[in-house]
Order: sequence, then C-alpha cells, then structure tokens
Amino acid sequence: MRYFSRVSENDLDFLEGLLGSRNLSTREEELIANSIDAYQGEFHKPEVVVWPEEPEQVSQILRYCNERRIPVYTRGGGTGLSGTTPIHGGVLISTVKMNRIIEVMDRDMQVRVQPGLIYERLNKELESHGLFFPPDPASASYCTIGGMVACNASGLKAVKYGTTRDYVLGFQAAFPDGSLRRVGFHTFKYSTGYDLVKMMVGSQGTLGVFTEITLRLRTLPEHAETIAAFFPSIRLATETIYHIVRRGLDVAALEFMDGWMTRAVSEFKGLGFPEAGAMILVESHGTRSAVRETLSRVRDIIREHGGFGIMEAEDEASRKRLWDARRGAYPATLRLAKTLVISDIIVPLSRLAEAVEKAYEIGDRHGVKVYCIGHFGDGNIHAHWCAEERGDEVLRKLHEANDEYSLYAISVGGAVSAEHGIGTEKKKFLRLQHPEAYDLLLKVKRMIDPNCILSPGIMFDVDEVIG
Amino acid sequence: MDVLWDGLGEYSEDILRCIRCGFCNSVCPTSNASFSYMASKTSRGRLVMLQSILRKSSTINPLDREFRRLIDLCFGCRRCLEVCPAGVRIPQLMWRVRSLSGGGGRLRLMLKHYGAIEKTASRIHRLSNLILGSRLGRRILQTLAGIDSRAPFPRFSPPLESMIKQSPGQGRPLAYFIDIFTNYHESGLGLRVAGFLERLGYSVYAPVQREAGTPLLEEGLLEEAKQVARFNVSSLLREVERGARILTSSPAAYLALKRDYPELLGDEDSRVVAENTVDVLEIIREEVDGGRIRFRGGRGRLIYHSSCFSKATGMSGLIIGLLESAGYSVEVREECCGIAGMWGMMREHYEEALDVGSRLFSKIRGADVPVVSQSETCRLQISHHAGVRTLHPFEALLGRIQSR
Repeated sequence: MRYFSRVSENDLDFLEGLLGSRNLSTREEELIANSIDAYQGEFHKPEVVVWPEEPEQVSQILRYCNERRIPVYTRGGGTGLSGTTPIHGGVLISTVKMNRIIEVMDRDMQVRVQPGLIYERLNKELESHGLFFPPDPASASYCTIGGMVACNASGLKAVKYGTTRDYVLGFQAAFPDGSLRRVGFHTFKYSTGYDLVKMMVGSQGTLGVFTEITLRLRTLPEHAETIAAFFPSIRLATETIYHIVRRGLDVAALEFMDGWMTRAVSEFKGLGFPEAGAMILVESHGTRSAVRETLSRVRDIIREHGGFGIMEAEDEASRKRLWDARRGAYPATLRLAKTLVISDIIVPLSRLAEAVEKAYEIGDRHGVKVYCIGHFGDGNIHAHWCAEERGDEVLRKLHEANDEYSLYAISVGGAVSAEHGIGTEKKKFLRLQHPEAYDLLLKVKRMIDPNCILSPGIMFDVDEVIG
Repeated sequence: MDVLWDGLGEYSEDILRCIRCGFCNSVCPTSNASFSYMASKTSRGRLVMLQSILRKSSTINPLDREFRRLIDLCFGCRRCLEVCPAGVRIPQLMWRVRSLSGGGGRLRLMLKHYGAIEKTASRIHRLSNLILGSRLGRRILQTLAGIDSRAPFPRFSPPLESMIKQSPGQGRPLAYFIDIFTNYHESGLGLRVAGFLERLGYSVYAPVQREAGTPLLEEGLLEEAKQVARFNVSSLLREVERGARILTSSPAAYLALKRDYPELLGDEDSRVVAENTVDVLEIIREEVDGGRIRFRGGRGRLIYHSSCFSKATGMSGLIIGLLESAGYSVEVREECCGIAGMWGMMREHYEEALDVGSRLFSKIRGADVPVVSQSETCRLQISHHAGVRTLHPFEALLGRIQSR
C-alpha cells in the first residue's frame, strides 16, 4: 500500500486558498523544470510547485501536508550536486520568492536574510558595508543561502574561512507540526545546551524548512595575492600543501590540480602552463605586509619541495587569470567528457597523496578515466570520473568507481561528502559513515518528522524512518 | 521525442551536455524578470524541459504552442554563452527548436521580406513617418506586423545606401555592411561615420548587400537566414578579395558577420569575411594607438549601457576604454533594457520587455547625463521608457577626436 497520499483536488484548493493562484503550478512544464538539479540523476516530478512568500504560509503548508501525509521538498537555486529532487512526488516548495535581505546589522557584523536570496547578490550588497559572507561555492552566481545552509556548502576559501555552518548564528524554520520557531542567537559564541542551529545545517530539508537565516559576516580583506606553482609529482605537491598548513601559514585558498587537469586547463584557456605532474594555487588575505610575509614563506616551502614555474598575481586582473585556470577545470573536463561524476570526499591531510593515487587505481580497475582537483588545504578531493560516451551503462560504471572511492574515504577516517551533501546519491553510505551513531540520526529525524514528510528519500530511505 | 532528435541534429548533444548548473539563469535577462520565479520561464528550465523530452521523461510536446511561448522567452542576447561551463550553444539551440515548429508563426511572410519592406518604407520615409506617427498607422502596424502600438518604433530616414558611394574610391577601402537600422532609420549616423573615416583617409562605400538577418534567426527561419547569410558573405568576400575590410557600426551587423554567419554556414568564406570585419570603434582604437588621431581631452560624465550584443562581441571593454580615454567619467550599467531587437516591440512580449527593462530604467530615469549604447534598439527603448537622451558611442567620441 502506498504510504504517502497523492496531491488531490482538495489539497490544491487548500494551497490555492493559502497562496493565491499565481503561487502554485501543476503544469507539466513547471513540474519538469523543478524535477532535477545539478546531480547526474533521474527526473522526479513533484505533483505541485508552490511559491510561498511568508513564513506563516510555509508553516501552514507543512502542518497540512503532515496531516495529509503528503511529501514536501524544498528547492532554492536547484544547483545541488547530491540529488535532492522530489523522488516521492508531493509538494515542492520553491523559496525563490522569499529572497530579501531583511537587515544588515553592520556593527554586529551579521545579516538576516530570507532563504531564497542568491549568494552572489548578498555579497554584492554587503560590499558597501565592507563585509562579506565567505563560503564561496562554485555555484555562487545562482545558489541560494537556504540551499547553502541546507547542504553546508563551502568552496575554495574554506581552508581559512570555514564552511557555511561556521556562519549560521540562527534561523527561523517551519516544522512538520506546523510550528514556526526561531533558534539561535546574535552572538558569535554561546554555551547553552544542545546546538540545534548547527544540527540543522546540512540537514538537506529533512528536518524543517528555513524561512529566515542569520549569518555572521567577515570583514572584506584589505589585500589579496595569489601564487601558482608546478611540481614534478603529485606527492611533492601534496607535501607542499601539508607543510603550508602544518606551519600555520595564513592562507585563504590552497588548491590542487593533477597533471592531466593542469594540461587540460592550460590548453582550454590558452595559458601556456609548463608540463607538470601537478599544480597548486595559493591565496592569502590580510594586510599587504602580512600577505607578503605569508607568501614569501609559501614560496620557500614550494622551492623546498621541487616546485617550479612560480607565477605571482598581485593585482585583481592577474589574480583573476590564475583563478580562471582553477575555474576552467570543470569546463575543460566537460569538453572532453560526455559523462562526468564528481566525488566530494574528504580525507585526513596525511592521506592526500595516497587518496589521489587511490583514485587512479580505482579508475584503472573500473576502466574509467579519472582526474583529481580539490580544496586540498582541508583535504577535500573532487575526483572527476569521466567517460567519452553517454548512456545509463556508462553512468553506472562511473558511479561504481565513485562509490568505491567513497568507501575508501570512510576506511581512512574521512567522509563521503565535504560540501555537496548526502542527498539521494550517498545515503547508502550514511550508516557506514556513522557506524555507532546512525540510530541516533534516525531518532532525531523521527522525533522532528515522525511521518517522514520532509524530503523523503533524501539522506534516509522512507522505510527506515517510519520503521 | 524523435522530432527533437531528428530535427536538432548535432544540437541534441548540446541539450544533453547541459549540467543544469544555473549559471545561464544568473545572466539571462528574462530569467531575472518578475515572472521568472517559475523555473519553466528560465534559461535552465528550457534546457531541462528539452532534456526531459530527449530522455523521454516528460509528456511535453516540443511543437506545442504553450511550449513555444516558453522557448520564445529566450531572445538571443548571448549572455549565457559567456558563462556556460559546458559550452552549450543556447541561443543557437533555441533558433533550431523554433524552426521545428515552422518558425516565424503568422508573421512568417512578413519576416521573410522584412528587409524589402523596410527599404520601401525608407524610400518613402516622409509618408511612412506620417502614417506611423498616427494612432491608426500604429494599429495597422500592430495588426500586420505584430508590433505593439505602445512600443517605441523608429522613424524612417532616407536610405543610407543611396547616399554613399557603391564602390571604393581613393583611400583605404572599407566596405560598409550597414544593416537595417542604420540604413533606413539612422542614416545620419551612418553618414557621419563614413564622413569621419573618409577624413582619416579611408574610402567608405556600400557594396551590394542585404539585411543582417538576425530577426530571421531569432524566429527560427533558418533556411531564410542562411540564404541571406550566403548572399552577404558572397558579396562581402568579393570586397575582401579586392583588399577591403568590412566596416560595421551596428553590433547586430558585427555579430552576424563575426559569429552568426560562420556558425550558420560553417564554411571558409564566412570565416574569411569574419576575420576581415571591423567596427568603426575598433578603427578609432587602431587610429589612436597608431598615433594618427588623439582625444583632445575634456570632462563630463556618461552612463554607458552595455547592450547584450556589445557584451557578446566583447566590444564593451573597448568602448568603456575609449570613452574614458576621451575624458569621460563613465558609469557602467549592465542591466538589459528588454528590447532585444524586435522582441520587445512585439505585442506578445511588450509587457515582458518592460518587466525585463524595469531594473535598468529605475537606475537611469531622470539622469542628467546621456546614456551611451552601441545598440540602436536599446537606445530607442531606453529613451522611450527612461526618458533620457541616448547616443551611439561614436557620437560621444566624435567631438573629442582630433587629427595629429
């Protein structure tokens, strides 16, 4: 027997009465356009898409759907990479109409925003205050703050600034019981019992729907410089990265690209990089003198480890050129591969070189090409599993290789996801990831969402939740 | 659905290559309008719908009228091409999707002959302006050509092609590829461009040519667009072989020769024409860099509106540089005005165009300085809806240029 209810005419009448006819759609075109995100998965259509404009509307939707046992999924920019599409149908809440900056609290270095606000727009607005929200995901131009909080997004600068979780001070969220609760404080630290704020970050819509978020902000750096360097081997590059971190140098980004990727990007962007086994990019933020001092010591470490062809970028234009190389990695791969699956594992720093070699070994065994880049300063590896063909069989093969890589990450004390989230893609690893605490995770889910109406099938299978 | 596979050919691959990152949405003018809270009305939404059809995951009929309405929200600005990591040729793809459902719709006949119609109206410009200046005239235009009677419509001027020579004289030859707007609506600007270049020792002439054909592409009338492209390439190639460079002053003409024709025809001839095409603003840059002319200096402020095509051709950077070299303090506005050639003039898109342009209009309305834009129709839209004076960058520069 079907566990969830289908969305009926009566349900649509309720939603229309609550939201107005402009704020819901059951048109095939609209359902399809909301049925997939940036994850290489299948189309899963919701039964209705709704656009609430007020927090109370969200809470009423949840209360109603909980009573009727209708699945509810939440979507921001739809840029997720772990598969958070409505696999059980139901209602899809699009947050795009809740996209305002509510208040910039300049002196408190905080901002209150609605969940549908686009990341890049927030930082553009904050520029005039000399402030910014640092996590810098690749999807910056279109991902929403709500989505970033839901998957604990981060990016190139996490090695200095941390992840989204480090910046969420509080929120207002709607819960399946119809409650609308404010959680958290306007302070940078607190010791006040269980940290419910941090628990909700990364919950991927499985515990509640954010209707407002309070973020801590940082001061825009006075100065930034970037350097690139090339290495004869992967191990020398990863050793360099390790020593930069180990010696406590204040770097804002510490990126790695393997030799193939370096070549591909160089050709794609016409950058004329030298032939190398790997390259790294290092950026430092701070006062001009502090940045100079930091990068001088970084250069020493690079040379100690056989690095060569050091390129330095002190002004905005030349920094952009170097970062274009890093940002060109994905497009360069897409031009050579018709099918692509990207890993998001994170390993202890001591395992970096081994982890890259492991990717090649798995690739060889599965007959799959693989290239590695990543935010190596914090151990995050994005192995790109590629195929020149298209099709379900090819995709399956790439996922198999990626799955084995995820198991490897767990086996060395790492995690299957550093910044993309669990979604539908990695839920099969969640029990392995938390061998002694998985039941606690399930208990949290059951306590807050006993009917499993929130994002069912994401993070957990429905059967596990409802027992 | 097979109609897509069969009809789109290699462009089916572009659809499948889309990784749904949403970067196109971040720059797409219609994906940032108030109506595009609906994902199906965004650029990525269109690609997702097409993917679902190809992957047989939806019941959407690509030939359906409602679907066509969603596809028509792409007006070919090309901003997406700059940001798409997968290199999906989105505007070109949309031309082809439109061509599957016939292209052109009820205006097919009118569009196929729009160049000739414009030419005739220009020849009798006084009468044309009299008619189109009346309410009745605009209603007729709305009925016959679908152009909303509230939309700004340019006055006709006598044809530029009849006012400049048809073959090169003394001097470095520049074959002027004029295109519709300059030819039939802004011939004064074209004459000033030609006169300025003649004084620098160039010989500007108008070889045999047709319109650039951008509206044909946008409407999915690909065969008709190809015919126009072949005609123009064949004529302009002869001029290149005689040692001329091809001159443009319109971003649509420049884009057609530099990008659209090579993409559409895929032949060596169009590539040769593209390589030898130069805009008047590029010539000014060359002349300044070569020390033959210089800016006499001056002060003043300007707003520079970076039109979609100026961005797509990479001309915006050059224009801003020239304006600053000429002593202007330049405020740059990247927002789209919504007109997109004829798109925003059409009855079915008039309100949508206003929605798209509203972000720009609210920023520049009441400005006490001119708004400079390379695009003819952007200037028309901006002056009409924001009530500000507009100029082609050439006009802003002309008074500040002196020969050495």
